[in-house]
Amino acid sequence: MDESALLKEPEFHRLLVRRSRLRWGFSGLLIGAYLVWGIGGLYYAEAYATPLAGSAFPAGLAMGLLIIALSIVFSIIYVRAVNRIEAEEFGEQEKHR
Amino acid sequence: MSASGTNLSAIVVFVAFVSLSLFITWWAAKRTHSAGEFYTAGGKITGFQNGLALAGDFMSAATFLGLTGLVFIGGADAMLYTVAITVSWAFILFAFADRMRNLGRYTFADVVAFRLHPERMRVLAAIGTLTVAIPYLIAQMVGAGSLIETLFNIPYLGAVLIVGTLMTVYVVFGGMLATTWVQVTKAALLLAGGTALLFMVFSQFDFSIDALFERAGEVHPRGKGIFLPGVLYNDPISVVSLGLAFICGTAGLPHVLMRFFTVPDAIQARRSIGYAVVIIGYFQVAIMIVGFGAIGLLIGQADYVDNVGRIAGGANMVSIHLSRLVGGDVFFGLIAAVAFATILAVVAGILLSASAAVAHDFYSRVIRKGEISDASEVTVSRWATVCIGAIAIALSLLFKSVNVAVLSTIALAIAASVNFPAIFLALFWSGLTTRGALAGGATGLVVVIVLVVLSPTVWVNVLGNATAIFPYAYPTLFSVAAAFAVTILVSLTDKSARATIDRAAFPAQLVRSEVGERL
Repeated sequence: MDESALLKEPEFHRLLVRRSRLRWGFSGLLIGAYLVWGIGGLYYAEAYATPLAGSAFPAGLAMGLLIIALSIVFSIIYVRAVNRIEAEEFGEQEKHR
Repeated sequence: MSASGTNLSAIVVFVAFVSLSLFITWWAAKRTHSAGEFYTAGGKITGFQNGLALAGDFMSAATFLGLTGLVFIGGADAMLYTVAITVSWAFILFAFADRMRNLGRYTFADVVAFRLHPERMRVLAAIGTLTVAIPYLIAQMVGAGSLIETLFNIPYLGAVLIVGTLMTVYVVFGGMLATTWVQVTKAALLLAGGTALLFMVFSQFDFSIDALFERAGEVHPRGKGIFLPGVLYNDPISVVSLGLAFICGTAGLPHVLMRFFTVPDAIQARRSIGYAVVIIGYFQVAIMIVGFGAIGLLIGQADYVDNVGRIAGGANMVSIHLSRLVGGDVFFGLIAAVAFATILAVVAGILLSASAAVAHDFYSRVIRKGEISDASEVTVSRWATVCIGAIAIALSLLFKSVNVAVLSTIALAIAASVNFPAIFLALFWSGLTTRGALAGGATGLVVVIVLVVLSPTVWVNVLGNATAIFPYAYPTLFSVAAAFAVTILVSLTDKSARATIDRAAFPAQLVRSEVGERL
């Protein structure tokens, strides 16, 4: 099929931009969170070992759990959002033809 | 120690698993005729099934047994692995799932060869696959051999032969369909077993997470020091390298990448990795809690841990000991059998990816330039599987005392430094040329091997030198950076005729990678 024609279509550009935003936004947030949390532990070890108020659960581990929870949440959002974006952009495009 | 010795429930569960897996193989063999069926189960696996299989591929014995041991020894630092692993799977979903599925057919080589010089890129991909798959295969089989020796009282030789023969049978006869269903079965077993263990450990603390952590901090020789980070890894470079090893390494594992092609389309590919993130995230959290529970329950039990804190049978035995302590002999047998099943399913997947690299990428596409019938390609794949299986068995018997951790590190680092840069830049950078990809791949491979040899794990622990020339356990920060730098520099200065073709083909690849077969 003619790929160069599709390349010029606004639907394709919107798809590209919308997906890229999710792709690099979520990747950057999670990888950034791992680095900040991981390296932070080296300089604030005592704070990481301190239990959360009113429990015995160390704060550093709780932050790690939070990053894992975010990975799961972002993944679910990504799968749903991309399915929706593709349906919207392709749906429109198919109507045009 | 009484933990060895034959155990009836272990044998029952294990024999049941092997019988079921052989039944699956027989069922799959009747449905596996074409190359597409052999390599990717005809693309008919559903998103949920593939999600379980992907999670199963990653939840090897190393994660199940190794990570609990790591929590036991390293405390809070083990959480670095847990978080890096979960983030890495989410990253694979965001960065790779759509574009890989839309561009590839059987192996990740299809993707890197899409617009670059097909034969040269397939040779690079085949080398990248084999240098990851063979060390990984040997690491798993040697680990399995020793584990089975302790658990079932089967001699090492017999254990390696059982694992090696079964994995070869699954792949030769049942191809990807059998490999996937064996993996799905095992993933379900492992999740059930892990959850049961978590439940029983929790019940020992009256289901109070506070009681569990309080007790761990009271009884561990380092006391509350186990909650301090910086024990296993005490500098930023190690933390970054560890993260890169998992984030780039997992995204460069050939047997994981191959699973993108077993589903019908990009929608199912996304969905399957989404499921994998959820399952792996849950399992990582479960393992961490079980690990801290193990500290509280096992320390002070002379049968399992001696008074200087050494674990009977080594750190990998923590989950196994724990299962016996909280669940008795029947549950212990169950967990032991699940650990064995885990290894079997993982090695089958790796073996299939290695034979696809040899038969599909190297033989069919490079030697025969695609001039080969579908039926003969399947025959070649089956023979390649038998040969690689035999080589893996022989090497595992030869290197019984090899350091399993070193092999796994090398495999993951090569995946991160050879396969990952080539795939990532092929997908996202229009300037990548064939010459750049080849130069970068070669650089990544050489830097990994040199740095691992100079690292503490080989230079000090294996070669017996006093201090390591390269002070970090993981080489990934340097090897990945070197591979990317060389790939980009060589691509930018590449004035060859091929480079013009490579760059000019990017727009067409971009469209295809984003919209797939809908065109």
